[in-house]
Amino acid sequence: MTPPRFTGTEGPTGLLRLSERGWGYLLAAPAFVLVGLLALAPIMAALWLSLHRRLPIFGVDEFVGAWNYLQLWSDDRFWAACRTTLYFTGLSVTAELLLGFGLAILLDSLTGGRDRSPRWAQVMIILPWAVPTVVSAQIWAWLYQPEYGLLNYLLLQAGVIDARIDWLADPDWAIHAAVVMDVWKTTPFAALLLLAGLKSVPQELYAAARVDGAGAWQRFRRITLPLLMPIVVIVLVFRTMDAVRVFDAVFVLTGGGPGNTTETLSIYAYKTLFQTLQFGYGSALATAIFVIVAALSSLYVLLLRRHLRESL
Amino acid sequence: MVRAFLIVLVLAAIGCTQGGAGTDPAATVLVFKHGKLSSDGTVLSGLLREFEQRRPGVLVREELLPASSDGQHQYYAMNLDGGKAPFDLLAVDTIWVQEFARAGWIAPLDDLLPQAERDEFFPGPIMAATLDHKLYAVPWYVDAGVLYYRRDLLDRHGIAPPTTWPELVHAARVILDAEQDPDLAGFVWQGKQYEGLICVALEVIRSNGTDLWTGDRNRAETSLRFLRETISVHGITPLSTSMADEESTRRIFGDGRALFMRNWPYAWSLLEREGSPVRGKIGMAPLPSFPGYAGAPVLGGWLLAIPQHSPRQEAASELIRFLTSPEAQRRMAIALGYNPTRRALYAEIPLVETRPVLKDLYPILLKARPRPVTPYYLLLSQSAQPEVSAFVVGRKTASEILEAVRRQAERLVLNHALPFAEERL
Repeated sequence: MTPPRFTGTEGPTGLLRLSERGWGYLLAAPAFVLVGLLALAPIMAALWLSLHRRLPIFGVDEFVGAWNYLQLWSDDRFWAACRTTLYFTGLSVTAELLLGFGLAILLDSLTGGRDRSPRWAQVMIILPWAVPTVVSAQIWAWLYQPEYGLLNYLLLQAGVIDARIDWLADPDWAIHAAVVMDVWKTTPFAALLLLAGLKSVPQELYAAARVDGAGAWQRFRRITLPLLMPIVVIVLVFRTMDAVRVFDAVFVLTGGGPGNTTETLSIYAYKTLFQTLQFGYGSALATAIFVIVAALSSLYVLLLRRHLRESL
Repeated sequence: MVRAFLIVLVLAAIGCTQGGAGTDPAATVLVFKHGKLSSDGTVLSGLLREFEQRRPGVLVREELLPASSDGQHQYYAMNLDGGKAPFDLLAVDTIWVQEFARAGWIAPLDDLLPQAERDEFFPGPIMAATLDHKLYAVPWYVDAGVLYYRRDLLDRHGIAPPTTWPELVHAARVILDAEQDPDLAGFVWQGKQYEGLICVALEVIRSNGTDLWTGDRNRAETSLRFLRETISVHGITPLSTSMADEESTRRIFGDGRALFMRNWPYAWSLLEREGSPVRGKIGMAPLPSFPGYAGAPVLGGWLLAIPQHSPRQEAASELIRFLTSPEAQRRMAIALGYNPTRRALYAEIPLVETRPVLKDLYPILLKARPRPVTPYYLLLSQSAQPEVSAFVVGRKTASEILEAVRRQAERLVLNHALPFAEERL
């Protein structure tokens, strides 16, 4: 028996006599309005602002078209911030994905038995992610402290290094110190998503593969990885978006220094907007971040589509 | 004694009768925004309660802002820009007054502080608060860069506090070589990429008779190189200084792990408090200079201002008058260690006996020079910070960064097509 189709023709007045599609739009309208107000309107406002030269201190507020973007094009500090941001993103997302995968597999194999300890392991692993970023950045700043920080102490004791390293003050180390902190903090997020993915892989597939004589690596390569691809892409999209916009983690650790070696786009935008109050130029910077995030995200989605098409 | 007791009693009685004012809908409520004071917050609240008693019908509500001055600047910029600020009184950093005044965010206070009375204050903060011959804020407490030193170690080696930078390097080298203590640093200062680094750089450059954005370039290069060489050549400054702010240097020095430190006077009370490892072992001196020039401490400190569109300007003016009165400043100096902005207080024997350090500070505060007094200052400083920081860690040369800093300043002027008073830099 098929359920009766709702056609909307039973409405009492002519006004409500809408097609199914019409009803659909009508009912979805509040959601559209909400998304429009919450997401689209601020983006548009920032875009509009970025076409202005707006310096409240000097009472300047004029429409300048693409002037801010032209400035951006010839701004060395902007390009340096782009490089720093992409370097940070590339390193941290790769490490988070790999480590997250490792953790997820570890947790998955733990939760097979009847033991209750895996639950604890899961809770423990998620902890870093639950700590507010500003707090964990401060903790890491102490760990990195060259004279009495734990990191140098441990490495010296273990004989890995023979002189104290100034993790944050050394321009070559600083950005990597920020990457390590970010990886520590957000790997749990990747691990959790991937663990959920692992749980959804049907066990029969593994059993069948085993019968066919597939080894652990082959099972991983041929079953786990392809089936987890959508989750991997989700992790990549989420983590990339966050990493490109990274602000608090790096800002608390280094403030963008030394010598701007850790100044990401968000830090540059923050300084431009709130420290020097160049609202127009700052908005152009914010728009640039938006464009980069959007471009990377669509790239991932494109890759996922292609992957799905190929595997079908 | 009895009289003091009676006054307290009377005040308490007034306080009781005024107790109902809190529920009086006709009362004027002044909202006072300021950053958290470094120590006991009850001192300021006590002063505010006293003001309420003196001015029946006026209530003051304190609203605290984050301790970081960047956070406060951001809050003020966002709330004052709309024209309807939700507060009637605000505490502003010396480097913001020009900006806020130029933007029309804060009201001129010329009537509050007539010309004759301005002379009773230190000249630096008054200069920082004056735009186009109008005064926009009243100095509340004042700061200047000073040199802290370990008196015990200097005495042990028979060395006097240095008056020139080469003397400082020499003293540090001699003592470090003799002490052979791997945990002891020679000279720590604020080297992180932030406003504090610009203060240090300005002090070093100005103490060679020139400036960062203007003035003789060769002498500016020499002075900047000195800063870098404390790390790279003389080995008296640890590399970690290039990530240090006021508090981290204060902790290093406070743990007894540094011989000299550049910092603000606020550190004095914290270093001298009960249980501090360096209590009684330290001294404060004017910042050194290069031979032939005078030391050049940078001016810091906070002022009080009123938003342009506050409907309660009159009551707010009275509160400013009260908080910057000799009496209130005296109490803040004793209880909190905040340096008064009125010069006459430094000659008051009871006050100076309670806080002897004021005697050392007076000539320094008198000489302290503001950072460039211009509404562009934050733009200038912000674009110079990465350059100076890159130089301090050895990524760029002194001549490269001076070239960049001065070119940026020029471009800033061209871009904004605004009159640029070079002599004010």
